[in-house]
Amino acid sequence: MGKVFVAGVGMTKVGRIFNKGYKELAMEAVDKALNDAGIAVSEVDYLVVSSAFSDSLLNQVDISSILAQEMGIDVPAISVNTGESSGVAALEAALNAVRAGKSNTALIIGVEKLSEFPSAKINSSFSHVLDYEIEGIRGIAPINYAALLLKEYMKRYGVKRDDIFQWAIEMHKRAEKNPYAYLRFALDLDKARNSQVISSPLTLYDVAPLADGAAAAVLVNEDLQTTIRTQPVEIVATASATAPPIYLRNDMLDMLATKKALERLRTTVKFKMGKDIALQVHDSFSIYGFLALEELGVCGRGEGVKAIGDLQYLNVGGGLKARGHPVGASSLYALDETVLLMRDSFSGLRYDGDAALIHSISGAENNAWLALLKR
Amino acid sequence: MAGSFEEVRIMKNSISIFWRKRSDFYKIRLTKCLECGKVSFPSRTKCPYCGSKNVRIVEASGKGTLVNYTVSYYRTEDSDELQPRIIGLVKLDEGVIIPAEIVDVDPDSLRKGLRVEAVLRRLKSDDPFGLIYYGLKFSPVLK
Amino acid sequence: MDRPEGKTGIIGWGVYIPRYRLKASDIAKLWGFDPTTPSSLGIHEKAVAAVDEDSITMGWYAASSAIKRAGIKPEKIEAVFVGSESKPYAVKPSGTVIGDALGVSRKRLTTDLEFACRAGSEAVRLVVSLVSSGTIGYGLAIGSDTAQANPGDVLEFTASSGAAAFVIGPAEDAAARFEAVVTYVTDTPDFWRREGSKYPMHGEGFTGEPAYFHHITSSVNLLMEETGLRPEDFDYAVFHQPNGKYPLRVASKLGIPKEKVLPGLVTPWIGNTYNASALIGLSKVLEEAKPGQRILVAPFGSGAGSDAMSLIVTDKASARVNEAPTVEDFLSRKTYIDYAEYAKSRHIIWRNWG
Repeated sequence: MGKVFVAGVGMTKVGRIFNKGYKELAMEAVDKALNDAGIAVSEVDYLVVSSAFSDSLLNQVDISSILAQEMGIDVPAISVNTGESSGVAALEAALNAVRAGKSNTALIIGVEKLSEFPSAKINSSFSHVLDYEIEGIRGIAPINYAALLLKEYMKRYGVKRDDIFQWAIEMHKRAEKNPYAYLRFALDLDKARNSQVISSPLTLYDVAPLADGAAAAVLVNEDLQTTIRTQPVEIVATASATAPPIYLRNDMLDMLATKKALERLRTTVKFKMGKDIALQVHDSFSIYGFLALEELGVCGRGEGVKAIGDLQYLNVGGGLKARGHPVGASSLYALDETVLLMRDSFSGLRYDGDAALIHSISGAENNAWLALLKR
Repeated sequence: MAGSFEEVRIMKNSISIFWRKRSDFYKIRLTKCLECGKVSFPSRTKCPYCGSKNVRIVEASGKGTLVNYTVSYYRTEDSDELQPRIIGLVKLDEGVIIPAEIVDVDPDSLRKGLRVEAVLRRLKSDDPFGLIYYGLKFSPVLK
Repeated sequence: MDRPEGKTGIIGWGVYIPRYRLKASDIAKLWGFDPTTPSSLGIHEKAVAAVDEDSITMGWYAASSAIKRAGIKPEKIEAVFVGSESKPYAVKPSGTVIGDALGVSRKRLTTDLEFACRAGSEAVRLVVSLVSSGTIGYGLAIGSDTAQANPGDVLEFTASSGAAAFVIGPAEDAAARFEAVVTYVTDTPDFWRREGSKYPMHGEGFTGEPAYFHHITSSVNLLMEETGLRPEDFDYAVFHQPNGKYPLRVASKLGIPKEKVLPGLVTPWIGNTYNASALIGLSKVLEEAKPGQRILVAPFGSGAGSDAMSLIVTDKASARVNEAPTVEDFLSRKTYIDYAEYAKSRHIIWRNWG
């Protein structure tokens, strides 16, 4: 099986971008990624688009064909939706296409536009990442589960409310250095502590802001990688799993899908998890950030708060929390940031390690996706 | 709940989705797996633990104990009148944990171990002229 | 002559009173009434249904308690009649939702009835007839209302929310058996709500003598005439309770002492629950009466009509009291809210829907 490399990456700034539509955001990210790779749009032979809410919030079904039309290409174009983790799922689809010989140069676009409607409508759509017929109809939102998990976590491990804000504080530090981030300001404990309660005990600064954004990446096969001008970063493997809803789990603090995906990833590739690995974890709510670190084996159970200060290469762009959460694009931002970090530098950071891991989940961990990158 | 005729009159919710599943909204129904023995919420055609089709649907008593809860100020399209909402995990007397909205309780008096019972309430309402959708929520037991 | 209703009785009863209470003094203050207005009406506070409650949800609760007390399977019930003047839908039966949510037999008669405050009472009469004729084995009669009052109207002091329900079946298994039931109806327009109107209107003093007092005294006198019973034969008397004063005054007109009325008088603490008003009063009496005691019940509905019923409590009643929440349980469970919260709960504040 041939190797597959990321040849180019491109991101737009994350935020409420009222003067641009989703097509303009997507084209901006695509142009940057193609320029980065030194590839002409006509060379793209496969398109995968990740957008979780194009249908419900942009009234656009089959967004991949529409974006292909926008680019003036006539390639196979597919849309991928696994909720919040759609970006890594799109990466896998593109990876498979290149590995299968269906594509030499695959373009991945993650795009989301979450500022087009009032927040109540956005929140309703976002809630639909859970099971609508069971949870949605009963008015249960992902944030409510995150709040229940947070309570359970604090109680079980004796973690204090203030300790949890360390996640947001750390993420804001990183976002300050990321030119594409949404929340580029320092956060202190006082400000976090005094933020409004959204779902007790969870407050505003425990929640990743839903935002607009687009991120693109170009994948090429082994034959082409020598022709591109950037230092290639290899996508070694992806792995994923689904898991029962959390109310059916024996222990709701277990990230069962993440655990299973990690097992699967380890059967295909060897890598060492540690505090020095470049890692992007899904932190739609800060509690998931801590749980992910623990489930992935970066630190022990209940030790996430203690560990986070040492994790220099964790969520280098500020995570969903501070970079922002343009849902279908979020894990492609994680990909792009990681590729830049491995190539040269990102946000002023240099990384010497060989491997990097990207983690993404959807809802209350209905699924988990992992991607392993190597230099 | 009359409004002016300029008000939005669309029906946001699906009649048939509610109608088809009304037994699950009017009763707490569980899936008992005859293969692996596990009981799960709500009714399903297959066991969510082992995938077996050899399941029996059983009705729960509707009484349970609150094991975890959150007071939610998160606003969605049809939550406004109900704010803040209390979302909790209820351990049914049958032993199964289910997510549910808790009503008729002062947030300050919420506590783990509170005895609760299922009560019929409006789940959603396509105001002002559409359908009202009913289903079970939980409230502190009276007796 | 054996009356057919003698073959029937109340097998189980149940009520529902929402948790929230609004003080009558708050209403007086907001709308600039003389502070003595509440006491002149005999009203301290009224029950207010929560924002996600309506006459269907309250009727469901009352009926599920009635079924628990009856100790029968819901599938054995073959009729669901709901009396309400605050149906959530102008067109679409409430009884279909309540019946399915309770798991009542699908081979059932179901309809919503409207006759101001006595539709629930007519529901009782209909089920009694169906049971006594052998058409059905058991039936549910429900009275449930989230009564609406024009904000600032004197009616607002009393119009409240509540429900009562009865499983009616064969006399042999009854907690209280029907001895006799009569009804008296005339065309007397004392209170009404036009199609499309949100709040009812009324003839003020006209609701009294020609309406409430004339119809209740007529139905009760008719009952006495047909049965030969006298006021002193009754241990309890429960009348429709539009306020705290009328039931005592009508009792005195009928020669029934206050002491027999007070045990079933709930309006001063919960307001007028319309179709549930006299029926909650009856339920409260059933929860304290002794075997062999006789209860007079006379609901009233504007428009106008009154039913007079004579019931005899059996030795089966007391064991059923604690099978479900009692009226006292509901009376003591209360949380006070202010007028603003009441206005929100009862959809008096207009919002844009989106």
